Amino acid sequence: MATNKLIVTPPPHLRAKENIPISMRDVLIALSPAVVAALVVFTWNALFNIALCTVVAILSELLMRKLMKRKPTLNDYSAVVTGVLVAMVMPAKIHWVMLVIATFVAVGIAKELMGGLGRNLFNPALFGFVFVWLCSGFIASWAGNLGILPAGFDGAVAATPLAYLKHGTFSSMPHPSYLGLLFGHPRGGALVEVGSFWVLLGAAYLLYRGVIRAAIPTAIVLTVLLLSYILGKDGVYAILAGGVMLGAFFMATDWVTSPMTLFGQIVFGVIIGVCIVLIRTYGAPSGAVAFSILIGNAFVPLLDKVFKPQRFGAVAAA
Amino acid sequence: MAAELKTFKGGIHPPYNKELSSGKAIAEAPIPDELIIPLQQHIGAPCAPLVSPGDKVKVGQKIGEAEAFVSAPVHASVSGTVKSIEEVANFTGAMVKSVIITPDPQQEAFSGTPRDTENLSQEELRGIAREAGLVGMGGAAFPTHVKLTPPKEKPVDLVIINGCECEPFLTCDHRLMLERPEDLVKGLKLLMRAVGAEKGIIGVEANKMDAADALRSASASEPSVSVEILEVKYPEGAEKMLIFALTGRKVPPGKLPSEVGCLVQNVGTAIALHEAASTGKPLYERVVTVTGPGVKNPGNFLTRIGTPISTLIDAAGGFVGSPTKLIMGGPMTGWAQPDAGAAVVKGTSGVVVLTSDLVDLGEESECVRCSKCVDVCPMFLMPNFIVQATKRAQWDKAEMWGALDCFECGCCSFTCPAYIPHVDYVRKAKAEIAALKKK
Ligand code: SF4
Ligand code: SF4
Repeated sequence: MATNKLIVTPPPHLRAKENIPISMRDVLIALSPAVVAALVVFTWNALFNIALCTVVAILSELLMRKLMKRKPTLNDYSAVVTGVLVAMVMPAKIHWVMLVIATFVAVGIAKELMGGLGRNLFNPALFGFVFVWLCSGFIASWAGNLGILPAGFDGAVAATPLAYLKHGTFSSMPHPSYLGLLFGHPRGGALVEVGSFWVLLGAAYLLYRGVIRAAIPTAIVLTVLLLSYILGKDGVYAILAGGVMLGAFFMATDWVTSPMTLFGQIVFGVIIGVCIVLIRTYGAPSGAVAFSILIGNAFVPLLDKVFKPQRFGAVAAA
Repeated sequence: MAAELKTFKGGIHPPYNKELSSGKAIAEAPIPDELIIPLQQHIGAPCAPLVSPGDKVKVGQKIGEAEAFVSAPVHASVSGTVKSIEEVANFTGAMVKSVIITPDPQQEAFSGTPRDTENLSQEELRGIAREAGLVGMGGAAFPTHVKLTPPKEKPVDLVIINGCECEPFLTCDHRLMLERPEDLVKGLKLLMRAVGAEKGIIGVEANKMDAADALRSASASEPSVSVEILEVKYPEGAEKMLIFALTGRKVPPGKLPSEVGCLVQNVGTAIALHEAASTGKPLYERVVTVTGPGVKNPGNFLTRIGTPISTLIDAAGGFVGSPTKLIMGGPMTGWAQPDAGAAVVKGTSGVVVLTSDLVDLGEESECVRCSKCVDVCPMFLMPNFIVQATKRAQWDKAEMWGALDCFECGCCSFTCPAYIPHVDYVRKAKAEIAALKKK
């Protein structure tokens, strides 16, 4: 009898059919409509950017894990997800050096240096994006002097539909239609700005698969919508343009860097929503979503403590 | 439809696989060549043996007894000869002093004295429960007479029979409800009398409607007894969850059901009380579900306490396929066995043999804060933070995050994508916290 092969582990002895690789694969599947749309619109440009970021993400993880003497965890696909996300949020026409820096900072610094998946406070992809964004002036002037970068790097995002939100008008374009925005007209500067529809399609899949919960994205989207109207802006436009949908459904919902309880998640979403509108209105038109989510990330440890769930039966049933 | 059924918040839907054995009528398990009867099968003080090697024992004879209030005597489950009294590893691996009995080739039936149960007093019922060695037969094995002695200032108005059987695979309670509904209702009436409760509810999960129907007709003439249907969800049968689902009452953290006027008892225990009261039969046998894809003919077996698992496996036609895990109890809370040597005790509800396709042994990794464990925890704890505190040996924090309120249902580990064995950590934390409190 096969009794000598019996395995002894603590209970429970049954498990849901889920693990980190399955979930990360789901995220990649969910990203695919937007990725395909980006490939159609930006063709070789998109292919190059996505492939480059993915490869750099994988190499960064391997390198950092080696340096820090940890076991490689590539098979959890999280590096690939981060790589693709970096490629999607960066301007399509950006110099490849920037992509490499952003991806390395995302995976190598924001994730691995912080202790690996699970320990990082900030969303890695956004951290990489914002790092490059903040440094781009510096890098651009420095590299520009050396003649590495084409001129007009930071102009890549200036003429996007987001400018409309800040200035309330397009000097050169007519008011874009909501339907147009859903499908990426007019086109923004980043790969992901090929239309919120594709992002939402993937988001529906993530919700269906139970990888993400609706609380965070709902809170973000509703906050942006309502606050925009309150400030006299076009709310629907505000949620459809730029990276709000990708940010709300794919980045603010990042497991590691979002709160764990329902109320914490709602407050987190509201914080991000408010920041998006305020930054867009009073600050820079682009990059607002990324900054806002990183600001939200910083609140996560606090939100987890404050919104600790009330233990079953802790208040006497009134 | 599901939304209308009574239930609690949180919980999971594991694969149930009840159909393997739910259609199999209770059959008598064979008597093994040797029985191992542990002198401690319950929560509380171990018993001292009342017999010595070489003694002849009769079926139902008391062979172990303890002075302590929180304890339960043990009885011989066969007629035979005491071979030895020695320390034997029980199903948890702990060494427990046990009476080893060699059964007589010819077994006589238990002969009790019929008794009129109509006029038994509360005191008498408690005495009967203790004498018969009754314990909770759902797994925890808490002595029944202790439960029947609620604090004076907390009157119990409701007795609940846990007919949920929410553990996957197990069907012993299902079969008992289906085959012996009258005895169950009688047992419930006795429990109600014992604690002075006016009302009794039998809570049955919606996947056992045949049992619910049988119980409804058996209790048709009992206005104080009702049968309620609950949503099929794990752990619907956990005391606090069941009370909440049926009544909306919430047992506060660290408190017992009597706090909210409830007593919860297992199906098998209620029937055993009826038997003990009406015939004097002590708890020396119980129904055990032997099932899983790793046994040939899954079934439900009336098994003498002390029967080794291997006898039951043989009764179920032996192993098939590649048995990977042998579990004593249900697959959510049971104990994995290194071999089939452990003996059935009063709390053994099942023997489940899983094959490799059902065993997913992923490597534990860092928590990715997905919050799935928080979503499913029926106690509304944050299991991930209990684990984190335990890993760092911060016992005060582990307690702060609710380690002591965890009743080890395993929902968190079931759903965790990082393969974290929360229950294992919680047990560690509980032991450390208890040790600290003793100091
Ligand atoms: S923490 Fe305890 S009570 Fe909560 S789900 Fe996990 S095992 Fe169950
Ligand atoms: S389910 Fe596992 S990975 Fe997810 S938060 Fe809980 S402990 Fe962490």
